[in-house]
Amino acid sequence: MSDTGKTSAPAKVSPAGKVMRDGLWYNNPIFVQVLGICSTLAVTNNLRNTLIMVLGVSFATSMGSMTLSALRELIPRKVRMIVQVLVLSFYVIIIDIVLRAYQPAISKQLGPYVGLIITNCILMGRAEAFAASNPPGLAFLDGLANGLGYGWVLLVIAIVREFFGFGSLFGFKLVGDWFTPWTIMVMAPSAFFLVAIALWIANNYKAKVAAAAKAAAPGAAGAPAGQGGKP
Amino acid sequence: MKLNRNSVIYAAVFTFVVCVAFVIILAIANQVTLARVNANKRLESRTAVLKAFGLADSTTPSSEIDSKYTQLVTEKSVEKATAYTATIDGQTYVAVKLTMPGLWGPITAVLATDPAGTVVRGFEIVDQQETPGLGGRISEPWFSAQFKGKKVLPDGTIAFEQGSGKGNFDPNNGTVDAITGASRTSDFVRALVNRSLALARQIGGTL
Amino acid sequence: MIDAPSVGLLSLFLASILTSNVLLANFLGTCSFISISKDFKSSMGLGVAVTLVIGITAAVCWAVLYFIIQPLGIEYLSFIIFIIVIAGVVQMLEMIIDRFSPALYLALGIFLPLITVNCAVLGVILFMQIRKYSFPQAVIFGFGSGAGWWLAIMLLASIRKKLDSNNAIPAGLKGTGITLITIGFMAMAFVGFSGMIAVQ
Repeated sequence: MSDTGKTSAPAKVSPAGKVMRDGLWYNNPIFVQVLGICSTLAVTNNLRNTLIMVLGVSFATSMGSMTLSALRELIPRKVRMIVQVLVLSFYVIIIDIVLRAYQPAISKQLGPYVGLIITNCILMGRAEAFAASNPPGLAFLDGLANGLGYGWVLLVIAIVREFFGFGSLFGFKLVGDWFTPWTIMVMAPSAFFLVAIALWIANNYKAKVAAAAKAAAPGAAGAPAGQGGKP
Repeated sequence: MKLNRNSVIYAAVFTFVVCVAFVIILAIANQVTLARVNANKRLESRTAVLKAFGLADSTTPSSEIDSKYTQLVTEKSVEKATAYTATIDGQTYVAVKLTMPGLWGPITAVLATDPAGTVVRGFEIVDQQETPGLGGRISEPWFSAQFKGKKVLPDGTIAFEQGSGKGNFDPNNGTVDAITGASRTSDFVRALVNRSLALARQIGGTL
Repeated sequence: MIDAPSVGLLSLFLASILTSNVLLANFLGTCSFISISKDFKSSMGLGVAVTLVIGITAAVCWAVLYFIIQPLGIEYLSFIIFIIVIAGVVQMLEMIIDRFSPALYLALGIFLPLITVNCAVLGVILFMQIRKYSFPQAVIFGFGSGAGWWLAIMLLASIRKKLDSNNAIPAGLKGTGITLITIGFMAMAFVGFSGMIAVQ
């Protein structure tokens, strides 16, 4: 949990804008911190399930961060971790109850992965790194930005996996019977490769932008974002 | 805030209050949605039964499921399974919902047949925990579609064989394609199908 | 527990280590996996700790699930209860190890708290709940999954030792990128075990 404030978004924008930009790109949980892929990567062979999981993570991170930020003056140091886990699991259970009542089919397909949102490192990471020292409104935005920043990357991966793995998107068949689905895309290894490729593209793009900035204004280039080391 | 945040009592009281508050909210949320969750479960089971009888498909609206089910299907429980009967176009059919072990967890499925158990009317997986992409493919429509109108072998069973993986749709050979790369799951499903057939024949005999 | 899957204990153990490796097939515990595998010695320590914790919590949570949660009908609270049990087991393990083996405590101590939020632990317990394992199956599955995680992190740590000194890797892939690709290949290799032990 070490990425506090080590962000590299341009300093000119408002705090809220900065928080959003950091979460979505400059300090993106996947590209920069490689956090929280555990609970969602497993369902990325299906676009609809990924969307639901991403929304769930965003909801839990933003609401959890907001609640913990509002309580931050009251939480005793000794039990800080326990209270954080309690608050975060509260929101995850809400998600679980809502899914079971209104989207039973999806709830069944996601199985244990809804509960695993609790141990998603992004939730604890943001609670610890941001919500513990910032006001509720900003903490909410930070949670939302991180959830969505994490989400868009996984959605791109899900699009690739579902298209090649089943020949469909959101369950709608897009190609004819001539198409032989790539079983590898349905199975686990492909997800690791795709995250690595996404990371590669993002790093190369960032390097290009940094080089361009350096060329334009020597000495004033934004430092590359640091590797967040939270286990 | 001048409370002593480091005292043990404060920590204990605080944690307790947070716990109680959250548990109460969750209990209320659970109560409120309980009826809905149960209705969903019932609907899921009814949809599977109607699909196995060939009375519904995945486009049938949920409002129609309940009315159709209450109108056409009668159910009764027999040792560890549920039996259903329905009369379609003047002919009576029997269906059995049965739960048996799978590779990773229980598999629940509905199998419908004629009372003598000679031709399968339909087969639907209700619940399974098999490996996604391998054994999990038993939930794909092509797999259950193979059973539609399938003539049972003379020994009263359906055979599974390693086929093209696209499905075996010849109604007369009594054989379906197993799932490629998931021989154990296929074995469990075969056991489930043949046990259901035997049960259905037993129930069909008493009609 | 009439519906407990009928898979035998030995094949369940082997399957949870090899073919259904909790990390390589279910992606659980990836975060600490990537960051800790940089260092061989830490990987060893964390691997041992994870194996112990998953095995013990699987047993405790099984008892909690069937003797407390189900009789009281409070399944909707199970996530919170499991997390508290995990935190409790970790805390107790820490105290016991500290008391009886200070040397081991020094080696494992820093890793234990990290495990409370390791997805692999909660994941194994939720799988155990959904798959309705019997008690022996739950314990075997727990220890097997832990051992599988341990094996995977040791393999990766060994590979990374060689990788990090390799200059042929494109700049954009260095560090995490190449690690993920390595994990992908390991996952493919582990799928290859399926034929060997006839469990999918």
